[in-house]
Amino acid sequence: MTALEELNRTILLCRDYVVDALSDEEICQCFQSRKVLCVSDLRNLSSHSGQTALVTLVSLLSRMGMQVGLSIPEVALLSPQPPLLGQSVRESLIASGETLVTGATVRCDSDFNPEMIFVLGNTEIGSSHAVSWRLCGTDWQGALSMEKTAGSQPWAAEWPVGSMVSAALAANEAFKFVMRCLPLRDQAARVFFEPSRSCDWNFGSVPLPKGSVDLGQVDVISAGAISQASLYAVMRFPRVQMRGRIFDDDLTAASNLNRNMLSVVTDVGTSKVQVVARCCGTKLQFDPVPKRFFGNSFEVRELAPRVLVGVDDIPSRWEVQRHTLGWVAVSGTSHFSISSSAHSPNEPCCGCLHPVDDPAGANPIPTVSFVSFWAGLAMAVRLLREVLASPYSPDRQHLWLTPLRMDQPRAAMWLPVAPRHDCPVHCMTSRLL
Amino acid sequence: MTIIVERKFAVEIVYNGVTKSLQVEPEEQVTALLQKAIAAFGITQQPHLLSLFRQDGSIVTENESVELAGLKPGEILLLRPNAVKGGGGLLRLARNIVQTTFGTLRECGRGECECAVYWTGPASEDLIDGFEHPIHKRSPFCYEVDDDWLTEFWKRLAASKRSVKVQVHTHPSEAFHSSSDDMWPIVSQADFVSIVIPDFAIGEPSLDRAWVGRLQVDGKWRCLGSAGEAVVLT
Repeated sequence: MTALEELNRTILLCRDYVVDALSDEEICQCFQSRKVLCVSDLRNLSSHSGQTALVTLVSLLSRMGMQVGLSIPEVALLSPQPPLLGQSVRESLIASGETLVTGATVRCDSDFNPEMIFVLGNTEIGSSHAVSWRLCGTDWQGALSMEKTAGSQPWAAEWPVGSMVSAALAANEAFKFVMRCLPLRDQAARVFFEPSRSCDWNFGSVPLPKGSVDLGQVDVISAGAISQASLYAVMRFPRVQMRGRIFDDDLTAASNLNRNMLSVVTDVGTSKVQVVARCCGTKLQFDPVPKRFFGNSFEVRELAPRVLVGVDDIPSRWEVQRHTLGWVAVSGTSHFSISSSAHSPNEPCCGCLHPVDDPAGANPIPTVSFVSFWAGLAMAVRLLREVLASPYSPDRQHLWLTPLRMDQPRAAMWLPVAPRHDCPVHCMTSRLL
Repeated sequence: MTIIVERKFAVEIVYNGVTKSLQVEPEEQVTALLQKAIAAFGITQQPHLLSLFRQDGSIVTENESVELAGLKPGEILLLRPNAVKGGGGLLRLARNIVQTTFGTLRECGRGECECAVYWTGPASEDLIDGFEHPIHKRSPFCYEVDDDWLTEFWKRLAASKRSVKVQVHTHPSEAFHSSSDDMWPIVSQADFVSIVIPDFAIGEPSLDRAWVGRLQVDGKWRCLGSAGEAVVLT
């Protein structure tokens, strides 16, 4: 197994814009040779949100093949951070080196000499020639800025949605740094890879109960990148419980490691549902169903009241929508963009949003860690809001988000879903047209 | 004095999170606007899959003018992939067709022989509003369409500007596509739809138990999850 195999889909995504003459090996090498330093003091690592921001960022960087350096104190993990193992943040992160993508190391060297630095919260840092960003945020909002001074607030939030947002924003900047090192076919495309001086994203706050949050029975269709990103996020929500089934007939492949947030190198060849069920542990209890979802099969019987769909195959999304009487959330990616939506029985369904099969769907899909992660995170937030009876309003039924330039006012667009007379699911709203 | 009224206006196109302003004229075709947008962003990867979407989530129809499409000055349009373009769209099926088809297949096959019909419609539309029952030889295991009838049928379709949208035939028991079904569809173009009805069509007049497949660009048949992925009743 080589990094070239593992980063195959990331390289494919780069090919949207890099010159054709560049070999896969050259693109791969460009990612692997990048050195990124992550810095935090004790205060910023003493909260679950701060720890989650750092762990998520290091994971997203490693899954792009980059070399990560750490300048952090030793501090105990406040909550488990699967798939990482260990008792302390630093120990766990160093141990994750080369386990997410071959050759992607994580270390604590004093002579690291980074090209990029990511700083948590209000951590003080010395002067450096490297470009640096600061990750800040609250429970639901994450931000990134090039501010050198530590005027920001320390990480202190209990809920880690904002921290995962900030990590995804940071990983995007690291990706664009690489793209700026590569020759592009069309110079007009440079605009997509310009650095963001500051950007943020807010999923919107939700009133939270004091006690535990039971997400109830949830079925998950696909154990691939988006479902894994979603469950990665859900398992980091404090005091949350969930039960259900996860359907997928696929085995973990080397080319999945660039984005499957719960998978490690040694999982290659193992059933994806087994990997997820093992990683979720007792907090999220999943019965792994190592079969492709077919609505009328014996194994399915009846779908749970809430279903998460992370499958790329569009007809499979329709199949789920046809066989559920409850709520369905669907997330997917298309090159650098994500599409995330939720569908209650009285709303236009996923067939209205994705009306016809995508012929390119069967081909290898170009993806990168942070884009798939955004898709999963958005779905996790939708699930939580649905359970807490605070779903997004109908004009936010669909989120189209391209994380490349989150400093731009229309990087993300909330949209309603228009019912279609030719809805392939023949959902209730389409029949009323 | 002649007053020239400037009718051009700008719309905002969003792609990959970046916004660009493009000038349009009311008479301009939406297709031309789409091409301008694709060129402005330098998109070379699968540009044919892209469409423009309004902020209410609806797609901007391409085969009409900017004015007819209702685009307004300053309107924000999202440029994003639309799978509709790449794959076969849904065929609109007149309600009586399924019932009539089953009647013909039963009457001809008498519960003991295979039979076939072809669903037809206007060549320029995704509408099925007619069907043809070919002259054919029949047996419990196959059917063979008469060559002369077929020649005459093609001439008739050309003259009336109609086309075959779907082929439908029966099997003795299980519905599936045999190797000869794969090899010899009446139309060999990508997106052509084939439906196989089980039990010589003596069951309920419904497509629920039918095998439904769509011909791919690589010449292979793709089995669809249900008839609803190929046709919608109108």
